[in-house]
Amino acid sequence: MRVAGPVVRALAATGRFGLFSSRFIRVMFQHRPPFRRALDEAYRIGVQSLPVLLTIAAFVGTNLTMQGYHAFKPMGGEKMVGMFVGLAGVRELAPIIAAAMIAAKVGTEMASRIAVMRIREEIDALSVMAVNPHWYLVTPRLMATILVLPALTVLSIYGMLVASYGVAVYQLGLNGQEFLDFLQRGATVTDLAYGAMKSLVFGTIICLVSCYCGFYSKPGPRGVGSATNSAVVTSAVVCVMVNYIISELVYGR
Amino acid sequence: MISLKNVSISFGDLQVLKNVSAQFPTGETTAILGRSGAGKSVILKLLVGLLKADSGEVDVLGTELGRASQKELYSLRRRLGMLFQHSALFDSLTVEENIAFPLEQQKTPPPRTEIDRRVAESLNSVGLSGFQARNVSGLSGGQRKRVGLARAIITKPEILLFDEPNSGLDPLTSEAIDALICQMKQDLGITFIVITHDIVGALKVADHLCMLDEGKIVEHAPVKQFLISEHPVVRGFLNRNVSIDDEGGIRAPTVDEIRG
Repeated sequence: MRVAGPVVRALAATGRFGLFSSRFIRVMFQHRPPFRRALDEAYRIGVQSLPVLLTIAAFVGTNLTMQGYHAFKPMGGEKMVGMFVGLAGVRELAPIIAAAMIAAKVGTEMASRIAVMRIREEIDALSVMAVNPHWYLVTPRLMATILVLPALTVLSIYGMLVASYGVAVYQLGLNGQEFLDFLQRGATVTDLAYGAMKSLVFGTIICLVSCYCGFYSKPGPRGVGSATNSAVVTSAVVCVMVNYIISELVYGR
Repeated sequence: MISLKNVSISFGDLQVLKNVSAQFPTGETTAILGRSGAGKSVILKLLVGLLKADSGEVDVLGTELGRASQKELYSLRRRLGMLFQHSALFDSLTVEENIAFPLEQQKTPPPRTEIDRRVAESLNSVGLSGFQARNVSGLSGGQRKRVGLARAIITKPEILLFDEPNSGLDPLTSEAIDALICQMKQDLGITFIVITHDIVGALKVADHLCMLDEGKIVEHAPVKQFLISEHPVVRGFLNRNVSIDDEGGIRAPTVDEIRG
């Protein structure tokens, strides 16, 4: 009985999410895309997130380099630290860190804002004014996220690599050219493209999950809090799981 | 015409409306009264299609909402206006943007000059001329209600619905909102449905009163008839203090009468 309750609740929530997404997809193709509001959202998401994201990405790069260097050095393989950064950082960490960052910063904001609109009957007001709330609230956010997240991911990869290069060359005394040669063995431009593609998927997941949590929030301040919490936790967990599936499909063969 | 025929709706184990039937006459004002949790707001949500009845028929302007497609529902909603309990204004927008919103979201919005003219006209009719550029978050409760009302009438609706128009307002502001509803009733000549638990306000604005109790309509009659109802819930609401004077006016209790 104790197990059945959460399992049933999880299945019900999955079903509701499926209905929410299918309703949204149907609406998206029935209405003209809200380009103007999508661009406003994209600007807001991009400008707000970039400094924090670059800072985090840079420090992930520095730590990867340092850890790789100290792990490979006893085997005489410290030159290969560039390849390690390419494999771990470019292929895996940068896209998932960008996604986690967007889930924490943008997803929570989406969920709480929509949840507050739900409490204050603004979503009902949209419906009564013959404006489809799925189209009005979700479409521009989704367009903005899938527009911005790949760009943020690519920029964070560059931020991470620059920081990594700095630590490798100026702190650990490695040869710059060797670092870049090994880096290219670990990650190519194709990997960069895969990273951007992954972030497209992550952006869609974060936006839909966060908007869903906002739409179906429980009433009151507690409802807003739990919608926000669910948005970030669910987005992060689903993104990590999907990340594995994509990596398996792309690199697993 | 708006009608409910044998309408029932439940939320989980709680049956909120039990086989409710009613007709709300065109061009007149009906106030639906009842205690908190009696199902008043549920009726309003059924009328605009935000909720679907478990059984029975809800007919608004010739559209049966239970069978209406999404497209029919949206085209019906374009003929309705609604003032929400807490106004439901968008705080990120200015007063002007809020009021213009329903027009701007139409498939073919009117030209900008026409929108501006209608916003000014709507604001004028709720007594807030010159408020266009004001930020909604800085408005008082009464002003928010007025802006909500201006937004509701800008599309020239055939039916105007009010969800607790006096809730959260001080007595003076509440009186001013009632006076505004009466004025609009005269100016627009359309069907008004007002959900309220404020009997004095309801008596001021309504032609018909409908009392809801525990999911059932216990009295639905023109004002004068309603006032002589012997139903205990109606009597409890009227509290034997509201009556009609010799000239047909509503007589509210005096301070001395209230204090005994």
